[in-house]
Amino acid sequence: MTDQELFTQVGIREEKASAAAVKSKRSLPIFSIAVLVLIILGCLLADVIATKDPAYLDLMNYTKAPNGEFLFGTDTLGRDIFSCIWHGGRVSLFIGFFATLISTTIAVVYGSISGISSDWVDTAMMRVTEIFLSVPGLLVILFIQAILGDATVVSLSVVIGITSWYSIAKVIRTEVRQIRKSEYVIASQCMGGSFLHVLWHHLAPNFISAIMFMVVMNVRSAIASESTLSFMGMGLPLDVISWGSMLSLSERALMTKAWWIILIPGFFLVVLLVCLTNIGNWLRQTANRKESNL
Amino acid sequence: MTIKRSRAAYYGKKLLIFLVSVILLSMTVFVISRLTPTDPLQAYYGERTEKMSVEEKEWARNKLGLNDPIPTQYIRWAQNALKGEFGISYKYKQDVVQVIAKRMNNTLILGGIGFVLTFAGSLLLGILCAWFEDSWLDKLLCKLGTIVSCIPEFWFSLVLILIFCVQLKWLPSSGAYSVGKADDLMDRIIHLILPMIVVIIEHLWYYAYMIRNKILEEVRADYVLLCKSKGLSKRQIMFRHCLRNILPTYISLMAISVPHIIGGTYIVETVFSYPGIGTLSYESARYADYNMLMILCMMTGITVIFFNIIGQIINERIDPRVKANEVVETSEVSEG
Repeated sequence: MTDQELFTQVGIREEKASAAAVKSKRSLPIFSIAVLVLIILGCLLADVIATKDPAYLDLMNYTKAPNGEFLFGTDTLGRDIFSCIWHGGRVSLFIGFFATLISTTIAVVYGSISGISSDWVDTAMMRVTEIFLSVPGLLVILFIQAILGDATVVSLSVVIGITSWYSIAKVIRTEVRQIRKSEYVIASQCMGGSFLHVLWHHLAPNFISAIMFMVVMNVRSAIASESTLSFMGMGLPLDVISWGSMLSLSERALMTKAWWIILIPGFFLVVLLVCLTNIGNWLRQTANRKESNL
Repeated sequence: MTIKRSRAAYYGKKLLIFLVSVILLSMTVFVISRLTPTDPLQAYYGERTEKMSVEEKEWARNKLGLNDPIPTQYIRWAQNALKGEFGISYKYKQDVVQVIAKRMNNTLILGGIGFVLTFAGSLLLGILCAWFEDSWLDKLLCKLGTIVSCIPEFWFSLVLILIFCVQLKWLPSSGAYSVGKADDLMDRIIHLILPMIVVIIEHLWYYAYMIRNKILEEVRADYVLLCKSKGLSKRQIMFRHCLRNILPTYISLMAISVPHIIGGTYIVETVFSYPGIGTLSYESARYADYNMLMILCMMTGITVIFFNIIGQIINERIDPRVKANEVVETSEVSEG
């Protein structure tokens, strides 16, 4: 092997590749953001876009394949799928964001308390989350659902929010434990800063970048949970239109080979989830180098 | 001697944590299920409950011991459980252990084979991606993997049923075997194909991506340069050095994911009406079949806790600097 060959083998190639990789990883996922914005706009303007009343049961035209009048066809109850997509998207998106708001709030409070407390309390609090994690999620969901009464959009968000805060809380706790002994935190406490003051002004700015991507991923998993729960018959009832409840008709649709009832809402769901994932991954790579070491 | 004693103390402590967690778990599940306002009589008597008078219901409750305060009920359950008696299923009127035993195999086959294939597949895929880093193949697989991992399990199952069962009519859409063919191996395999595909595909990319990134991190280490300058080929460096270094981490991660994959089949089981533990736990939680619910929760809970601790032990043995929870945390973090 000549020196030249050896050099190309071990030389600067690696640096180049990694620099290029970093650059490509840092670039904004414009396509995903654009699609996401389009979907959100479509749902906000549902009343303008929808060609039919989404709740109207057109008994003459049930299970119709997509055609000029019903752009995406009609479902087994005779509802126009095109209109349902935009109206249902509102519900799915709302649940995604509201559930994430709930879970993030719980996680921030729980994680910071656990992180700032003494070792003993901290260990106990973390063990408790582990035990919660090993209780089957299904049971917890049924339990909360039973307490809150019939499933509504808000109650379902609460259920999903309450069952999905553990991982964010753990990250916050780890971050807080690293910075809680820093001079500025201690100084603030000495000057009489309350827990909330320290949390808001000193701790939060430090862990916010670490959890941003998890928050986006949480929106994603909340939307996915909504659809799964509604499909399994534990979420929204049929008359509350969401992408999940639309898909709960698919078992009937399978028998009549009505592919559009299954594929069209599912397609929108997957596109939305992929966009959120891409944005989440981008956030992870830009904001938090530690995470990319996975 | 001191080393031996400290090791005993180490495992003793782990065992203690395990026992305390299991007891707390059983209490939590017990209390939660009792507080849920679902009527267990519905599971026991089915539709007849609606015709029963108040006195009859009261009598039935007394007979099943449901009127005692929750702590009393719990102690009674715990005493029996320690003797190995988990009570009867309200719905099946049989010993819960018998009901579960019948279905356990089905879930173990689905989850177990799925786990092994996921394990092997993700390793191969991860190596493949890392080998051709930043090539079109790597980029394609990464994009594809991200999309696939976003597809909800139930919808993926539905699409597969739509294509292979409804349109092409190649494969059966439900059950674990055709009527009367319980012993026919081919028949079972045919029924397994679709659920198995869903189980594998849903988990594959998550682990493959992790392997890919681990390897990429590893090939940037200095010893790789040394190996290269000594004249080792790319294959030798990859398989004899890099892989060896990431395998322990991977194995401990896989240990943690055992309950995740084997226990996480219940959506797939429900969509494909596959008679396994998943469908059973759904029923028992839904209809307050208390004894069934308790044993199922304990089984999944114990596997989760057990494998978490195993993962911690493996990791602490490999790298003493790692604090107890670290692996669990990272694995959950990346799940998002």
